[in-house]
Amino acid sequence: MSSAWRRRAFLAPIVLLVLLSLAELAPRLSALQLANPDASRAEALRAALAAVPADGVALVDIDADLGTYPEVRPAVRAALDQLVRRGVRIAVVSFSAEGRAIASAELDRMQRLAPAAPLLDLGFRSGAEAGLVRSVRSIVPEGVGGAVAAEIRRRGGGLAAFDAALLIGGGEIGPRAWVEQVRTRVPQLQMVAIAPSVLQPELEPYRASGQLKALLATVRDDVAYVSAVGGWSAPRPGVAPVSGREPSALAILLGMLVAIGVLVEALAGHLLGPVGSPASRGQEER
Amino acid sequence: MRRSIPTVVVTVIGLILLADFIVANPTLDRVAGAVSEWIMLLAAAAALTGAIALVATHGRALLQRGTDRIGSAVLLLGLALMLIAGFRPGSSGSSDPMTRWLVAALLAPLIASLFALLFFFLLAAIRRGLAIRSRETSLMVVVALAVLVLLLPLGGALGGWLAAAAGWSLSGPIGAVFRGMLIGVAVMGAITAARLLFGVEGTDE
Repeated sequence: MSSAWRRRAFLAPIVLLVLLSLAELAPRLSALQLANPDASRAEALRAALAAVPADGVALVDIDADLGTYPEVRPAVRAALDQLVRRGVRIAVVSFSAEGRAIASAELDRMQRLAPAAPLLDLGFRSGAEAGLVRSVRSIVPEGVGGAVAAEIRRRGGGLAAFDAALLIGGGEIGPRAWVEQVRTRVPQLQMVAIAPSVLQPELEPYRASGQLKALLATVRDDVAYVSAVGGWSAPRPGVAPVSGREPSALAILLGMLVAIGVLVEALAGHLLGPVGSPASRGQEER
Repeated sequence: MRRSIPTVVVTVIGLILLADFIVANPTLDRVAGAVSEWIMLLAAAAALTGAIALVATHGRALLQRGTDRIGSAVLLLGLALMLIAGFRPGSSGSSDPMTRWLVAALLAPLIASLFALLFFFLLAAIRRGLAIRSRETSLMVVVALAVLVLLLPLGGALGGWLAAAAGWSLSGPIGAVFRGMLIGVAVMGAITAARLLFGVEGTDE
């Protein structure tokens, strides 16, 4: 590997990071649009959560992965906010260790922003899918009290006690496991999901078949949903917006253009000439 | 004999859970519930064993001055920090503010940063892939380029057209390939399970 190539490989990520930082700080451009122009998926989630009765109980399963959670976090927070604003009682549960860590942080945040919100922490249920199946019959741990827990027990104590389930998906336990294990046992439970893009191909059939009432699984759908429920704006002066700042379309575009440039250069170099091409460089590196 | 005991256990438990799924019977329901509890206990025991093995491995590496002592020290320190936050007197476990801070302010950003490095690793891997398996990688690069172009966050009529095409490609061809893969994995899983149940696994290998 030549020293010039090594220097280029070292400097390129640094230059990219600087450019991404500048793009993040730059004002939003009207020529770019991150929100999906087809807002049907975002509207489906908004409508499904709006259909939960104001005196109802919603289950929020947070089983996202720490690696992909930043992608879905704005949509998750906006969805939680949509439920909290309507006074819906919320119970939060996790079946994965990473999901529990995220749920714990989100509960902390919700309790700070809306101290009076009727929240119930159902904690971590061990056993992965076996734990999920076990929760069909009983989901409230012994010793957990409060108005929300009492209402769930009054309705039977299992997953059938909930008016809807909002599933925050991850690789370990995700909406797919819920459809396979819970939908077959509690068919009346309305399930909606928010998942990272990597899960979109495997979850789309469940949305299309109606087993998932709504599904957000791309950044563009997430942004469209948060915009639809007003999540980017602060509810009142001096209060932070629910979902933070809208992701920078310019920064995302820049990253994508760099990826396209690198791929085109690599492909062209490989197809057009063997000397100094990525192929020969790869052989050198090997 | 050694192989037949696990096979019998797997067969019996599988049949109990399957029967509980199909037949509504209170006794069967209780038995299946107890089996589920055992599975959860086993999973918890496996997690605990894994954690002990991890500590033992990295503790040994630290004591015997292994090659990556800094990594082992950081791992053990992180583990100790989390345990102290969750088990110190007066702590409320995973709901404790200290645990929540460690997760929200340290763990989550660290893992997200590692995940973000995939961007660079993936591009580097593709360049190497072109040198090693050029035909397959070239095809993958062409498809990746097409998807990237469709996902460009542009506004106006062009942006709308690209978004519509991206939606179609995700739910159409890409979704079909993915579903085919899932069905293939499920069929292979069923075949493997059947081979295990009938005790014929590995005989032709």
